[in-house]
Amino acid sequence: MESEIANQRTDLTQLSLAVTQIRESIGQIIVGQQDTIEFLIAGLLADGHLLLEGVPGVAKTLSAKLVAKSINAVFSRIQFTPDLMPSDVLGTSVFDPRTASFEYKKGPIFGNIVLIDEINRAPAKTQSALFEAMEERQITVDGHTYALEEPFLVLATQNPIEHEGTYRLPEAQLDRFLFKIEIKYPTLEEEVIILSRQHQHKLEDEIKDIKAVLSIDQIKTCRATIKALHVEPKLIEYAAKIVQETRHNKSLYLGASPRASLAIVNSAKAIAGMQGRDFVTPEDIIKVAIPVLAHRIVLSPEKEMEGLTTSDIVTQIIQKIEIPR
Amino acid sequence: MKIHSSKKQNTNMFKYLIAFLFLCLTTQASPVRKDKVVPAKILQLKNDSSKLQLRNFDQQKISSYRQQTDFHYNQQLPGASLWDRFWAWVWRWFSGVVANGYTGSFVKYLSIAALTALIIYVVIKFTGTDLRIFTGKSKSVNIPYTESADNIHEIDFNAEIEHAIGNANYRLAVRLLYLRTLKKLHNNNLINWQPEKTNQTYLQEITDPYKREQFSLLTTQFEYIWYGEFFIDQENFRQVKISYDQFNTEKL
Repeated sequence: MESEIANQRTDLTQLSLAVTQIRESIGQIIVGQQDTIEFLIAGLLADGHLLLEGVPGVAKTLSAKLVAKSINAVFSRIQFTPDLMPSDVLGTSVFDPRTASFEYKKGPIFGNIVLIDEINRAPAKTQSALFEAMEERQITVDGHTYALEEPFLVLATQNPIEHEGTYRLPEAQLDRFLFKIEIKYPTLEEEVIILSRQHQHKLEDEIKDIKAVLSIDQIKTCRATIKALHVEPKLIEYAAKIVQETRHNKSLYLGASPRASLAIVNSAKAIAGMQGRDFVTPEDIIKVAIPVLAHRIVLSPEKEMEGLTTSDIVTQIIQKIEIPR
Repeated sequence: MKIHSSKKQNTNMFKYLIAFLFLCLTTQASPVRKDKVVPAKILQLKNDSSKLQLRNFDQQKISSYRQQTDFHYNQQLPGASLWDRFWAWVWRWFSGVVANGYTGSFVKYLSIAALTALIIYVVIKFTGTDLRIFTGKSKSVNIPYTESADNIHEIDFNAEIEHAIGNANYRLAVRLLYLRTLKKLHNNNLINWQPEKTNQTYLQEITDPYKREQFSLLTTQFEYIWYGEFFIDQENFRQVKISYDQFNTEKL
């Protein structure tokens, strides 16, 4: 009966195959961190930028590199440092004496997958250079606008503990990240597996052996499939209610933007597609609510003093809003 | 040999020191000069022969000052009222208590504590600080419940399902069948119905694996038809209804 009903609409075969391939590719190296891998893939399919946050040594950069390696696309890496200038990211015009004209030298932002390591180590001046690239997928330098090639995905990492030599990311930039994925410590069993692999000298070889499993065209096709997935109007209203509540909640100083509403719906579609459904359920919206909203909202000072986190408030909001059924 | 040499050096040092002190003293001590004696000059005071002018107080001004009450220094103050005497007694008593060695220190610290508490209270009230920051428990976020479109305890399911089937609205009929099943699960204490809980939460609440599996199938059907808006015709609905009826009669 279910298969009869399910066979009525979108063909998700290619999407499922792509998801399985990339999941297996990353899963070969990363031990555990299932949610992290799911959100990385969901972000990739939902055409959103991803911010990976975690204490040092939990494989933030490795996860980002593996995603990049799994896709046959132009990969570039920028190590953000306090003295990094916007031109170091975007590129700069250089005078060519032969032609007596300025020639634009493209910066590392011109890539399909851009890994920005330790993004919070660069000052706001350099961060703001990313605004146009991340949102509009283009760069404007010296009056010329250069389009960035599709797919364009920024994978950034940051360490939440260290404060020395770091800068808090501007709200405008945080809002441009689809997810903030918090990478947790591995469990005891997972850590034993990591150590065993390292002890057997397998890890280095396995990382080298990772091959690209998806082409740019496949990524584009998967994204188009995700966009076409069905969202029942009451679920759109449900997502909007969650975001609206962040704007009126007394525990919050700053609520989420309409971009957050769009992000919830788009990423819920990606989660649904990854699970082989061509429609969104309330669980999909709930699953993405924290990674989408937690970094876009700001706690009131009192709640911050109480030790609450933005994730706690999002959880409280979800628990109070009726599931459309 | 070395010790002997050291002693000799000390003796020489002492000699040099005495010589230096003598030189300093002799340099400072200069001969006293004798000043010449000058004979004292005798001065004679002259008598003051200037004419005296006698001045008297203005009697009018004095009388006007006398009339002003500010200058009535012998004025008797009115007697203290009963209220004033009460407070005077209170202060006398308080001074006595404070002056006392044992109770005085107690009252002193009590007063300081009360004053400190008052200041803290005023500051907290003024800044609007939530006092629960000290307990570590967060204040519950007050979000008004969205009014449920359907309260499962108030719906006449049989009538509504018949009505939906009559209108060929099979999608709505499946939704009502699912809600009726949730109500029955709640009434049989298999789940705890709350509007904000998801279907997966209800599935986890069912402890019996067989019932959970059967309810999982119904949930999947409901989700495809309701959230997925899949078209369902009369024949498909008949099959769906059979599975719901079986679950409700046999499994519950």
